[in-house]
Formats: sequence, C-alpha cells, structure tokens
Amino acid sequence: MYHRDAARHSPMTTTSRAGISVDRLEAAARRDPEPVDIGNALPPVRRKRASRALLARRSSWILTALSVAAGIIVWAIASRALDSPLFPSPVRIAHALIESIGDGTLLVDIAVSVRRIAIGFVLGCIVGVPLGLAMGLFPLVRAFCDPVVQFLRFVPPIAWLIPAIMWFGIGETSKIAIIFYMTVFLVLLNTMTGVAAIPRNQLRSAENYGVSGWQLFAWIVFPATVSYSVAGARIAMGNSFAAVVGAELIAANAGLGYRIVDSGQWMAMDQMFAAMLVLGLLGIAADRLARLLAARFLRHYVHSDHAD
Amino acid sequence: MPIEPVAARRRAADAGSIAIREVSFGFGAGRPEVLDDVTFDVASGEFFVLLGPSGCGKSTVLNLIAGFEQPTQGTVLASGRPVEGAARDRVVIFQDSDSLYGWLTVRDNVTFPLRVQGIAARERDERALAALKVVGLKGHEDKYPAELSGGMKQRTQLARALVLDAPILLMDEPFAALDAQTRSILQDELVQLSVTMRRTVLFITHDIGEAILLGDRVGIMRAGPGSSIKETIVVDLPRPRRRGSADFGTLYERIHRSISEEVQQALRREDSLL
Repeated sequence: MYHRDAARHSPMTTTSRAGISVDRLEAAARRDPEPVDIGNALPPVRRKRASRALLARRSSWILTALSVAAGIIVWAIASRALDSPLFPSPVRIAHALIESIGDGTLLVDIAVSVRRIAIGFVLGCIVGVPLGLAMGLFPLVRAFCDPVVQFLRFVPPIAWLIPAIMWFGIGETSKIAIIFYMTVFLVLLNTMTGVAAIPRNQLRSAENYGVSGWQLFAWIVFPATVSYSVAGARIAMGNSFAAVVGAELIAANAGLGYRIVDSGQWMAMDQMFAAMLVLGLLGIAADRLARLLAARFLRHYVHSDHAD
Repeated sequence: MPIEPVAARRRAADAGSIAIREVSFGFGAGRPEVLDDVTFDVASGEFFVLLGPSGCGKSTVLNLIAGFEQPTQGTVLASGRPVEGAARDRVVIFQDSDSLYGWLTVRDNVTFPLRVQGIAARERDERALAALKVVGLKGHEDKYPAELSGGMKQRTQLARALVLDAPILLMDEPFAALDAQTRSILQDELVQLSVTMRRTVLFITHDIGEAILLGDRVGIMRAGPGSSIKETIVVDLPRPRRRGSADFGTLYERIHRSISEEVQQALRREDSLL
C-alpha cells in the first residue's frame, strides 16, 4: 500500500505524465537501437558543452578582432605622440595602400614577389622530396649526401645572397635560387625524418605480404611520409617571404622588398609600411591556404598516436 | 597422453607445420645470445602457445618463423621448407596496431595484401568483406584506423591476415595492449575461430590464463639470455574452456610454478654475476 502511494506522488511519475523522462527515453532506446531524435531532451551536460564550444568559437573571433584593433590603436597613439613623418598614422598607411593598389604598382610588386616565391618553392619541393626519400631509404645515398646537407643547412640563405646576385644577376634567377635553396633543405630534412618515423611494423607487414620495391615506395613509404614533407614545406613557405624580401632588399627592380627599399629612399614611409602590411597578410594567407589544403586532403596521412 | 587436435587431422601432414631445430640467435658478436638451442614442432592445424617471462625472446622466435630475422644457427622450417625471408604463407599479427596503414580505410587495409598480388578489385572487396564479417567488423569498412577502438584495430589486423588464406598465423601478443574486457571477448572469439578456420597458430603471450584458454599445447620458455624451450605442456581440457574450472586452476598452478622457478633462477644467476 505504502509503496504504491509513494510511487503515485513521486516526481518521476509527474515527469512521465508530462511526456519526457529518462526512463522513457531509455526504454525507447532499448526497443529501438537506432538513434532517436530527442530534440531538446539532449542531456543538459551535452547542451552546455555544445554552447561552450560555440562560445569559444565566437570569442576567438572577437579576440582576433580585438587583437587587430589593439595593434592599430597602439600604432595610432604612437604615431600621434611622436608626430614624425617617419611614423605615419594608420590612416595614412591605409591611404597609401589604396593609392598603390589603385595605380597598380603594389599589384605588380605582389605579383613579382609571389611569382619568385612560387617558382623557387615548387622547384625546392620537387627536388627536396625525392632527395629526402632517397636519403631516408638508402643508407648509401644518406652517407654520401649527409655531410654536405649537414654543412649547408647551417649556411643560411642570406649568406648566399651576394654570391647568388653575382652569379645570376639582379633579375629573377638569383631570387628564385635563394628560395629554392631554403626550401630544399627544409623539405629534404623533414622528409628524411618522415621515412625514419615509419613504424617498423608497417614495413614488416608490407614485407610479409610480399610487396615489390615500387609498391613499398608508392603504397607505404610515400603516403607514410607525405605529412612530414608537407610540414617542411609549410615552414619553407613561411621562410620564403623573409628570403624573398632579403633578396629584393639587396638588389632588385621590382617586388615587395624592392618597394620597401625604394619607399625608404624617397622617405615615403606610408608606402613602405603599406608594403610591409601586404607582406604580413600574404604570409598569413599562404599559411592558412596550406593548412586548409592539408586539412582537406591529408587528414588521414598524419601519423596517429601509437599509444592507443 | 598427447591428443591430436581435430583440425590437425584435416590437413595434409606438412602444409602449415612449423619446425624449429637447434636454433640459436644473437644480435652480433659481443652481445649475449637471445636464443640458445631452441627446438620445437608445431603440427599442421595446431594452436601452439609460446609462453614465457618478458624479455625471454618469444618475439624473436616468431620473427625467425616469419622470416624477419635469420637464425645464427639451426634451421627453421615452415610447411616443411626452410624459411628464407617473409612470405604470404605465414602472416603476422602484431601487438601494436601501428602496423595498420593510417591513410587507408578498414576495407583498404584488409584488401592491401590482395592488391599487392594484383587481384582484381571486385574479388578483393568480396574477400575483404567476408574476412571482416568473420571478425565482426561488418559495417565499419569505411572507417579509418584512427577512428577505431583498440579491439577493433586488432580485429582489422586479424581480418587482414585471414584474407590471405595463409596456412600459418603468427600472433605476437595481439591482445596484450587491450583492456581486460575487450581482451576476454577477443580471446573467446579467437577460440571459436580457431575451431572453424583450421589454421596453424603460433600465439605468443606472457599471460598464463590466455595460454591455457587458447592453446592445444603450451611451450614454456626459459628466462633469457640464451633462452630455450623449458617444457611443453599439453592442454588436455575440452573447449570451450572456463577460467573458473578446477582443471584450469590445476594447470594454471603448474605452469605458474614452472615460470616462477625460471624467473627465480634468472634472478639468482644475475645475483651471482654481481
């Protein structure tokens, strides 16, 4: 008697009547293993977590905007305080930016620099990846190449600027050569590391199934190392901007680096900073693009942790 | 009295058999021998468990049979022929699931050994699907290894081995890295599978219970260095075996004592060296 009475007045029975109860959902789940659309009945914890993720995404955008705004404001205050033609205000830099886009000079500079980076970078990858794979795979190749590679990786691209200009002139070739040089080493060393990092069991199982040499290369080694090559290429891409500006600062007749030197000589500080602004934005854009492409096409090529 | 497993009788005498004769192995001069005079036979269709303390060279024995390593002395025969390198008639299932190819789906991992042989896509997929069904992974074909649990990864490895129809399966502590529940489930499934699949299995473990649960015979290895087979015990219990049964307990005690002796002797040897 007592039990029945208690059940009738328990809060659980009330919720049951209202339509939603954990028991009922569980019973439904027992009857039907297919996921049921439970709409608002999502457990409160999960709802909270979802909203927190949304908040995190939103606040990251807000923080980005705040960060950019803070940078501009600090710059504006500094330029106002110093009141010097050497320190133009954000507004003047923006003007110069629009102006140089309008008369086409900036676009030409961008095109020239990007072209140099692209050619040097692509050539560097074309040489760096196979060489890195060969060095990783064949001890003889590694033994032969390693001393030279180890030596040259500590001679920075900037050190090669003068000889490059003397050998190849102030035109395209010297710039492309510098970008190429830098890309090759980064891609090569990373690719070599990637080969060394292939789990031994992957190689042994492939051996077990009787793979031929080229099958091992095309189906195991290459896919297993591609994420390493790409990581090297991304670092190289970032450094390419520094290298191309360095090369263009020394000797050039176009390009973003050249624009910085040229504007400096004419004391056109606003144009100079506009060129620098474009450099930074281009770098971010290139890196974002690389990351996007990697996430799209290389999702499964990244080594999963072995711990699990 | 040694019993001949049912599966063994169904096969031709030599196909799928393993013979290790007076095998020694070391990683070069100046370093202690890993194996010293190992001899044992595994009959065709038999489920043979190699049991021993960690570091005793169990995996080395497996690597010799697989053809990943070559013995410094002695002979290793598979299906009556000397082992010269790895081959498709002896498929290895590794302890670490990192042998799965992370950039391939479960299906493509399982069809990989067939792709290597140039078998047509349609047949590959059919055989892979059949193997995945056997190991209970139907419906997970399009997942990537990173999306699988530890147990499912080992099931994928097993499917990839089964798809080849190799007469010999070499299993190197395949369940050691799994949680207790998953391990127990997979052990039970392997018992059922081994009855129907009629293949020779060399199974390596350091888990006594697992050895008794699975094996037709259990070979106990001495503690290294210079390890060999101490004794071979026939597991004369009807299947399916229950961990709780009295016979199971008696056998467990016997094997446990045998291994303890080994470990203690090894410790004494180390003491006397110091």
